[in-house]
Amino acid sequence: MTDSAHLVRKLPNDIGGAEAGPIDMTEHELLPWEKRCHALADVLDFKKIINTEEKRRGVEALGAQMIGNLSYYERWIVAFGNILFQKGLLTPEELARKMDEVAARHAAAEAGGA
Amino acid sequence: MSVHEHEHDHPHDEISVESAGYYEIMETAVRELLVAKGMIGPGEIRRQIEVLDSRTPALGAKIVARAWVDPDFRARLLADGRTGCEELGISFYDDTALIVLENTAEVHNLIVCTLCSCYPRPVLGLPPDWYKEKPYRARAVIEPRKVLAEFGTTIPDDVEIRVSDSTSMVRYLVLPRRPDGTEGWSEEALAALVTRDAMIGVVPVTLPETIQ
Amino acid sequence: MSATHLPEPPFDGVVWALGEAPAFAAGDRVRILARSPIGHYRVPTYLRGKSGTVEAVIEPAGLDNEQEGFGRNAGAKRHYYRIAIPMTEIWPDYAGSPRDGLRIEIFETWLERS
Repeated sequence: MTDSAHLVRKLPNDIGGAEAGPIDMTEHELLPWEKRCHALADVLDFKKIINTEEKRRGVEALGAQMIGNLSYYERWIVAFGNILFQKGLLTPEELARKMDEVAARHAAAEAGGA
Repeated sequence: MSVHEHEHDHPHDEISVESAGYYEIMETAVRELLVAKGMIGPGEIRRQIEVLDSRTPALGAKIVARAWVDPDFRARLLADGRTGCEELGISFYDDTALIVLENTAEVHNLIVCTLCSCYPRPVLGLPPDWYKEKPYRARAVIEPRKVLAEFGTTIPDDVEIRVSDSTSMVRYLVLPRRPDGTEGWSEEALAALVTRDAMIGVVPVTLPETIQ
Repeated sequence: MSATHLPEPPFDGVVWALGEAPAFAAGDRVRILARSPIGHYRVPTYLRGKSGTVEAVIEPAGLDNEQEGFGRNAGAKRHYYRIAIPMTEIWPDYAGSPRDGLRIEIFETWLERS
């Protein structure tokens, strides 16, 4: 086996028995967007647009670096984007344009509210 | 828009509030595009948020209290956790199966999902952060007694620790032991003793200190 | 020699289709296979090659989640088993009580008689 094969054979979410530090019992209340993201995951599964197992696979496919640095729901929403592109249901351009539009809306709302 | 600009090479699982802007915009954009294309209905996310908000550990606590006072219900619940919960009106919107694991004088059950964050959401709501993060997931299956000790729980060596690792379709709920000194208590009073963490298996159900 | 514990068909002369009945029954000794699929799997690596006992057959048979992870929402139903494995079998240096054990659900395609 080459040195890199373990990166392929053991997925980054497969951590049972791994070395790890103490449990941090701090809990946080979900942010509104995080709860929406959870609800979106459920609805996508109900309709089998993205089933729950595909979502898990999509998160694994982000790789160890992204899994290590993105939060739980950040991983989910990026995985949803990738899977929707793979299925031809969205294009990268559509999402990029829509994100710019949403960001502009937020900026306008903040300017208006200030 | 605040982008995730700070480079950090330390792995973390916690929610980073400072970087939410970028991903929140992504969430809004994905949702609006799916609605615009007619793939999801505009009210469906809101409805599912109501479903999620309606699922809390209080439901699990009711199940446990009923099982403590009603031996026939307890037997049905242990035979099929999902239909037992459905009897009390709790639906399994995620179409998972449920195995209810009974703690006894001989066996203490602990639940974990090493691969992701499988959890009995229909009966307990969403899991705590620590359940989804690496230390608990990695260690619960290799050193459960040390993990329990971090929660202040000591299980004698003559009691078997039984760790159930959930891998997708099947979810678990721990049926904790009923504390001594609760004979004759109402179902409602019993349910008030049952915590989320006791139904995960990291702590026992105990009486309030004022009663002990 | 029968390789399986086929339940008795309800009527004399009824033949079960291949794969229709579970191959294992509660109490059977089994070994979790040590193969290494890539892309997506739901058998954690810490259990590969470990031996245990079938505690229960989980009914009904479920969709193979290695395929479901790539968007298959039908087909390939697999029998699913709750397997009991002693902690000392998984971790030779296990520090807890020798009574301690692990339970996990595993598809039939990952099990062999031992």
